[in-house]
Amino acid sequence: MNARDAGAGAGPGDPSAAAGLYVHIPFCLTRCGYCDFNAYSGLGHLAGRYVDALLEEADLTAPAWQEERIVSIFLGGGTPTTLGPDALEGLLVHLRRVFDVAIDAEVTVEANPDTVDERSLELLLQAGYTRLSMGVQSFDRAVLAALERVHGPDSARRAYRAARAAGSTNVNLDLIYGAHGETIESWRRTLDEATALGPEHLSCYALTVEPATPLGREVQVGLVPSPDPDLQAEMYEAACDVLAAAGYVHYEVSNWARPGYECVHNLGYWRHRPYVGLGAGAHSYRGGRRWWNLRPPAAYIDAAERGRLSLGGEEVLTADEERLEAVFLRLRTADGIPAGEVHPLLAAPFLEEGLMVRRNGRLVLTDRGMFLANEISLAVVDRAVDSSGTPVG
Amino acid sequence: MTEISHIRNFCIVAHIDHGKSTLADRLLELTHAVSARDMREQFLDRMDLERERGITIKAAAVRLLYEHDGINHVLNLIDTPGHVDFTYEVSRSLAACEGAVLLVDAAQGVEAQTLANFHLAQEAGLVVIPAVNKIDLPQAEPDKTAGEVAELVGVAPKDVLRVSAKSGLGVEELLRAIIRTVPPPDGKAEDPLRALIFDSIYDPYRGVLAYLRVKEGTLPTRARIRLMATRVDSEAEECGVFAPGPTPVRELGPGEVGYLVVGLKDVHQAKVGDTVTLAARPAPQALPGYREPKPMVWSGLYPAEGGDYPALRDALERLQLSDAALAFEPESSRALGFGFRCGFLGLLHMDIVKERLEREFDLELIATAPNVEFRVVKGDRVWTVHNPSEMPVPGTYDRVEEPFVMATVVTPSEFLGPVLELCQSRRGNLADMRYLSPERVEVHYLLPLGEIIFDFFDQLKSRTRGYASLDYEHWGYEPSDVVRVDILLHAEPVDAFSSVVHREKAYQYGKAMVDRLRELIPRQLFDVAIQAAIGSRIIARETVKAKRKDVLAKCYGGDITRKRKLLEKQRAGKARMRRVGRVDVPQEAFIAALRVDQRGDRR
Repeated sequence: MNARDAGAGAGPGDPSAAAGLYVHIPFCLTRCGYCDFNAYSGLGHLAGRYVDALLEEADLTAPAWQEERIVSIFLGGGTPTTLGPDALEGLLVHLRRVFDVAIDAEVTVEANPDTVDERSLELLLQAGYTRLSMGVQSFDRAVLAALERVHGPDSARRAYRAARAAGSTNVNLDLIYGAHGETIESWRRTLDEATALGPEHLSCYALTVEPATPLGREVQVGLVPSPDPDLQAEMYEAACDVLAAAGYVHYEVSNWARPGYECVHNLGYWRHRPYVGLGAGAHSYRGGRRWWNLRPPAAYIDAAERGRLSLGGEEVLTADEERLEAVFLRLRTADGIPAGEVHPLLAAPFLEEGLMVRRNGRLVLTDRGMFLANEISLAVVDRAVDSSGTPVG
Repeated sequence: MTEISHIRNFCIVAHIDHGKSTLADRLLELTHAVSARDMREQFLDRMDLERERGITIKAAAVRLLYEHDGINHVLNLIDTPGHVDFTYEVSRSLAACEGAVLLVDAAQGVEAQTLANFHLAQEAGLVVIPAVNKIDLPQAEPDKTAGEVAELVGVAPKDVLRVSAKSGLGVEELLRAIIRTVPPPDGKAEDPLRALIFDSIYDPYRGVLAYLRVKEGTLPTRARIRLMATRVDSEAEECGVFAPGPTPVRELGPGEVGYLVVGLKDVHQAKVGDTVTLAARPAPQALPGYREPKPMVWSGLYPAEGGDYPALRDALERLQLSDAALAFEPESSRALGFGFRCGFLGLLHMDIVKERLEREFDLELIATAPNVEFRVVKGDRVWTVHNPSEMPVPGTYDRVEEPFVMATVVTPSEFLGPVLELCQSRRGNLADMRYLSPERVEVHYLLPLGEIIFDFFDQLKSRTRGYASLDYEHWGYEPSDVVRVDILLHAEPVDAFSSVVHREKAYQYGKAMVDRLRELIPRQLFDVAIQAAIGSRIIARETVKAKRKDVLAKCYGGDITRKRKLLEKQRAGKARMRRVGRVDVPQEAFIAALRVDQRGDRR
């Protein structure tokens, strides 16, 4: 079975169900103003106990996941590389021991350019990490400053070269566009620099202002203007053009890869596959149920040290919710959804306007359509419509 | 039965805020009609709306007992509605009286409604007692105002009474003047019964309660009665007088004012202006002046929630039980769904009905812009149109006629220019102009009703620093060069936005509507053309550019629940929108675009 045909994923009980494993590392050197992830600066002293807690949680969790084959592991954050190569190696060894991890599993670790060098990256590769994801964000100093990133463009270039020198063959660069002050020209320069470096994978995110962040508050009080959606759309289209010309495949709203280098782990989310999450605030999903750990690292550590899981909440998806997720997640990708799942009258206007195409019996959003995925998903998710194409019931 | 020579039936007529309700309160106190404990301000205005707005909507009556020269007099005070929408109701209340107190604010002087009410009272043959009110206010000019009133009524200034309804000063003199100058009613007890209904209300427990004035004959409780206009027979379940609450009596004799409870289910069978007679011995002729209530202003009322349609229908039916002037018929709009085209006496009446529907029945409504009823003529065929979307396109008829009114504006003469300018800009024709005094002038203009139902009054007030006053009476239909302007979204006409306007103002209206909608309609996945058209001719156009971004940039494992909730929120927002062809229009856009005071630049 190749990844594209995986559809909405295999159900529970399927003996060979492919699953992803996510590990959250909530530590950062500094907090960036736009970031609303569960991440903290100044908690470095908890790192040792936190890693122990992860091992404990893996032990407590793994028995329930023996039916699943782990096809991808992703260490995200925060900044996982703040833990150092030894701890990261120990962690991976332990995970492989307690979970059924495929021998050729994709193992990604996120890295901040300032926390890595050639030596440490070499150690990570030796430890079994197969994919490096670097938070570059921009090659424009002014944009990095607007994003409150501590590194400059040079350290991003240096880190990238270090990864290559260390022997990495699968590198992703994360870029963000649409920060205050960024022009379309500046963004094009960032894209040109990124493609000149030639990573296997590029994630380009439109800056999103989250209310519960320093940036969100600045926007709210009018210190910083809200990103202009039309300018972001222009930047998005520039990315589509530049990256296609450079040989990258646009396989998800914000993701491009050289053929064969699509991120297995993230595709799992968009295909509604099961995943298990370890660490503070990490989410797990299987068989229509989603649950998550407590967010504060201290609370998480505390539970693990008492030999307990730190369940923060859970939800069982209704059929309606599952349908909505299945539609909007898959429509984000170049796989789209089987045409038979959508009422023809609901899809017609989007096909007409060139926002969607029919390809191999599937409905797939075009580049322009992908940037409107929310509303298109909502428009096609209904199953029953009347003769005029208006959803009923 | 009261000795007829001891009865005085009178009303108080005044411009709004000239102190009518306060004077009524003082008369009630002075005659001990209400105990001090039960007294409250605006005693006769029973509806919450009346008390809040300081206006009288429904007529009321109260019996006052007053001893003068050793005789116990019965004075029936009939409180009339005070708004141009209810001119017919006012005329029926006046017809139930022999005298009227014409009350004028000493600081404001004669106003448009003063004139209109005086003329109504004169036409009804009433003895008019002029009185200047609020003489104790610092800015009062009692002499000047008395001069104006004397001039109007045709008496000497010294014969104009001076009162302060607030303090009670001069009120007793006024009461005596009423007894002295208002003639007692005439009418023989043994004649066939004729009693005039001047208002009727519906009580869910008792049925219809008709307010009436017996002209001739006697109305005994339990008699079989007949309503002459509606040709309905019923039983007089109870007769009574207002003292001040309904108090049963055995019979009502000539000249008396009281009420009649009949077991009828709704007020449409006991309409204002109808004559009550006895089934066993009917009067040969009804009293003159009866008129079917005729709606002048129409508007489509739609429930904001489609599921509330049955509730709206029930509510309108309930209101109609006590409001014979309210008309409604089901209609459907492609944009707004199922609703009702409702007919009202005027804008105030419309406001009141809307407010009662929202307040008493807890309904959220979308109202289309009010319009008048047009007459379309083709050959010998004449038909009426009261929904703009039903107006045929130009070229398919001979002519259209629209209702006109004769408007009376009273203004300080320094603002005469702006007033004339306003009336001219509203397609007015000057009919008459007269100086009430060197400082004040009354102007009579023939104006299309459709031109004054939007913001005419506000404009008048703002151009005269609030000093001008307005009143009008219906004049009849005149040919008019009006056209239907349609608003199209993505080439799809939105029936709720269609309007009939004068040809010369069509572009202005279309442009204003299109500009407004461009602001109100959110960007969609496609370019949305907003057009204004007369028939197939486009007169204005704007475009809402397609949005280009509507996506969550980042969407991974942990976030999926949150992202789904964002989408669900977006879906809920979408569900509240109305679909017009392929365009989603938020409810608020309809409400804002249809709001009366913001329609176009009509200055």
